[in-house]
Amino acid sequence: MVERVNNCVIPKDLYYKVEDNTWVKLNDDGTVTVGMTDIAQSLAGPILHAKTKKIGMYRKRGKPIATVESGKWVGPIKAPVSGEIAEINAELENDPQLLNKSPYRKGWVVKLKPDNLDEELKDLVTGDEAVAKYREKIEAEGLQCTHLEGTDSYEE
Amino acid sequence: MEFALDLSANKYADVPYEEKERLFKEMKSDERWPHVLYGCYECGICVASCPSARFYDFSPRIIAQAAAREDVDLLYTLMNDSVWDCSQCFSCDRCPRGNSPGQIITVMREVAVRNGLQSAKEALEGYGRIIYKIMSTGTQVSPDMLQPNAFPDWGGHVNEISEHLEVWRKALPPETLHTTETGWKVDEKTLIELYLIWHMTGVMDMIEQIDEGLYMILVDVMEERLEDAGYDVTFD
Repeated sequence: MVERVNNCVIPKDLYYKVEDNTWVKLNDDGTVTVGMTDIAQSLAGPILHAKTKKIGMYRKRGKPIATVESGKWVGPIKAPVSGEIAEINAELENDPQLLNKSPYRKGWVVKLKPDNLDEELKDLVTGDEAVAKYREKIEAEGLQCTHLEGTDSYEE
Repeated sequence: MEFALDLSANKYADVPYEEKERLFKEMKSDERWPHVLYGCYECGICVASCPSARFYDFSPRIIAQAAAREDVDLLYTLMNDSVWDCSQCFSCDRCPRGNSPGQIITVMREVAVRNGLQSAKEALEGYGRIIYKIMSTGTQVSPDMLQPNAFPDWGGHVNEISEHLEVWRKALPPETLHTTETGWKVDEKTLIELYLIWHMTGVMDMIEQIDEGLYMILVDVMEERLEDAGYDVTFD
């Protein structure tokens, strides 16, 4: 279940913090997987360094869980929900362009043990609502997504 | 697209005069101000020597005259729409009267940054990574900035350089230059001193006004390193 707006891929089964361009996936074990969206990777361009914070660190919602650098941009990936970092994607250190090529799969950033999920999930959007919100943002800001060679195809 | 500089009085009519005056007073209270502003003969030497005046709707003479006249409204407009077109080359320092429009602009930019003006945010947006580099590592331009997508104007050979960057860097004789993430190898002690300077001089407060994301990641980097070195310092 994937929607495309201006070439930007938006999987409908994820939760999104639209203004920060991050996504959240709910896992069965109570953790959540967090990553950056296709829009985020397009805006950043090919990523050169991705440094995640350490396992065990508690991050309040809105604080950085990783720092991402591209040729001319640097910025945080902000925690969409509060929680302790349970796992980090170690692959990103060797191959930071996983963030570009597979933002929703191999390019996940951290897994968090959330401590206020029910409350904080209310500020995230999912499904058709997420697509509508992103469509609005993409059109208002004239965004267009670009993909590197070897990007996930998302064909079912 | 409209590139012409609009100097009409109603451009920023919605901003209260008191606010513009407050910003002007901040400029004027800068200790450099009386040393870079004396008066203007209208000779035009500054404009003639100014590379930005040749390519943009920009004039160092307008800056010097508005400052000398203390035209609060006009200075506000210039601080928003004009001072970012200056390349800070200081060719205008050849003013026979001893003015330095470039220095006046330096002061105006600093006031704009300290007060988090939207124009300052926009002007500095593209420099985020450079600010991050210089503040977190002490070196400004790093070799790994040589990326075809970042600097297409550097030509096709950038591709090859970026692909084999580590090898190229190792070919340089001084070992301190065998780096890709920083311009050269920076000593730990230097970094600690640098972070303490940013902390003590309020530079981080300025960054917070301009780019919250950049502020966040800098605070993280600095607090961690300072803590490891035994300093109990927080930026918030």
